[in-house]
Amino acid sequence: MSANAAHQKAPWILAALLLSQVVLMSTFARHPDSEQSILRVWLVTGFAPVVRVSDSVLSAIKGTGASYFDVRRAREENLELRERVEQLTAERNQALENSAELTLLRNQLGVPLRPQYRELAANVFSRDASLWFRRLIIDRGTLDGVKRDMPVATAGGIVGRVISVGPNFAMVQVITDRHAGVGAMLQTSRAMGEVRGLDNDRCELKNISTNEKVEVGEPIITTGLDRIYPKGLLIGTVERIDADPNAPWHKITVKLAAPVDRAEHVLVLLLEPKDLKIDEGK
Amino acid sequence: MQTFKIALTIVVALLLQMLLPNQVGFFRYIDLPLVVTVYFGLQRAPVLGMVAGMIAGLGGDAVGGGIVGVGGFSKTLIGYLVGVASVRLSLENPLARLSVVAVASAGNTVLFVGLYQMLEQSLPFVSTWAEFGATIGWKVLSDSVTSVVLFFVLDRLFSEQAAARRMAIKKRFYE
Repeated sequence: MSANAAHQKAPWILAALLLSQVVLMSTFARHPDSEQSILRVWLVTGFAPVVRVSDSVLSAIKGTGASYFDVRRAREENLELRERVEQLTAERNQALENSAELTLLRNQLGVPLRPQYRELAANVFSRDASLWFRRLIIDRGTLDGVKRDMPVATAGGIVGRVISVGPNFAMVQVITDRHAGVGAMLQTSRAMGEVRGLDNDRCELKNISTNEKVEVGEPIITTGLDRIYPKGLLIGTVERIDADPNAPWHKITVKLAAPVDRAEHVLVLLLEPKDLKIDEGK
Repeated sequence: MQTFKIALTIVVALLLQMLLPNQVGFFRYIDLPLVVTVYFGLQRAPVLGMVAGMIAGLGGDAVGGGIVGVGGFSKTLIGYLVGVASVRLSLENPLARLSVVAVASAGNTVLFVGLYQMLEQSLPFVSTWAEFGATIGWKVLSDSVTSVVLFFVLDRLFSEQAAARRMAIKKRFYE
């Protein structure tokens, strides 16, 4: 096709290309599982090894500079950490004893046990590739047993859930994304609500009646009723309560327990919605 | 060879788009597939601009999350419009190219957000006009600054095309 002919046909080519995009986006927008697209799986599967290696190299370079300054603080930090280890060992022993006692009581009362699941460690090699969506991409996929809707957490608390998965990667929607929601409850009062993302490093706990007493610093945990996250995982703590005497619900800002915006390593909980369903049915 | 170089440029842009925001948070504001689309649009070839825009846009949708096709639509249109403008106007000097990137960045953001609104999907940073305006401002600034560096690199990579383009502009507007 000569340059002149191409120029003449350009509006028609444009119309055809735009029409194909309209069909594509209409199909994806209507489909409830639109995050899982073949194009995404193919492209990210191909890109994943390159980005993972490049990310490791860049992180190593950044880390070399930072480690020089870290060494200078290491001595004081070491002393602090030794004290903390002793304190946490004592707390752990107490928690183990409480856990054994709880299991015994649950058995005696016939209360179903919590679902057992394995955890799979993964590295984050890409995050927030677009301004508009809060996503992480991790280096574990279907080959490692990861499936859609599996929860992702750190030792501190939950991070999000898998929304798209390929052989060597999984895309995670973090809980600070405005489209993310988690069934949540206040640990002390057991009042249930929903945690929604605010598109910054905080979330909001919704649907907690103003009749409920809420205190700053109170832990918020998962309810297990959303069929994604198992019951009892830490989400965060109450950071602020905005009082409005006329509103039926508290406006609660949540400070997350997991470092969602800078997590480098996460744990995928190898747990499917059907496992949570069986647990509830017992 | 030429097609391979163009494809490789788009692939590298997508790889960097996946890689860099993990290292420096502010890179979230930069849309490398858009800057590459504008560069190819400025080659006085609307077809190249729109095809590059479509591939870069779809790739951006795939790696960034969200609805596949929205970024493809907006960048196809942007690539075509920049291509048509570069045929009709003299957009060779650096200031004109910077202006084109700024307008394309603002247009792309408006189109992207508009399409999401049409599909009844919500997006962050657009709940008030002030917030939306600030987001467009930051994106325009980031994309424009990035284009200065990227266009410099791409002009060296596509030096033959750059020379031919300059010659064509000279013929059309100054002889």
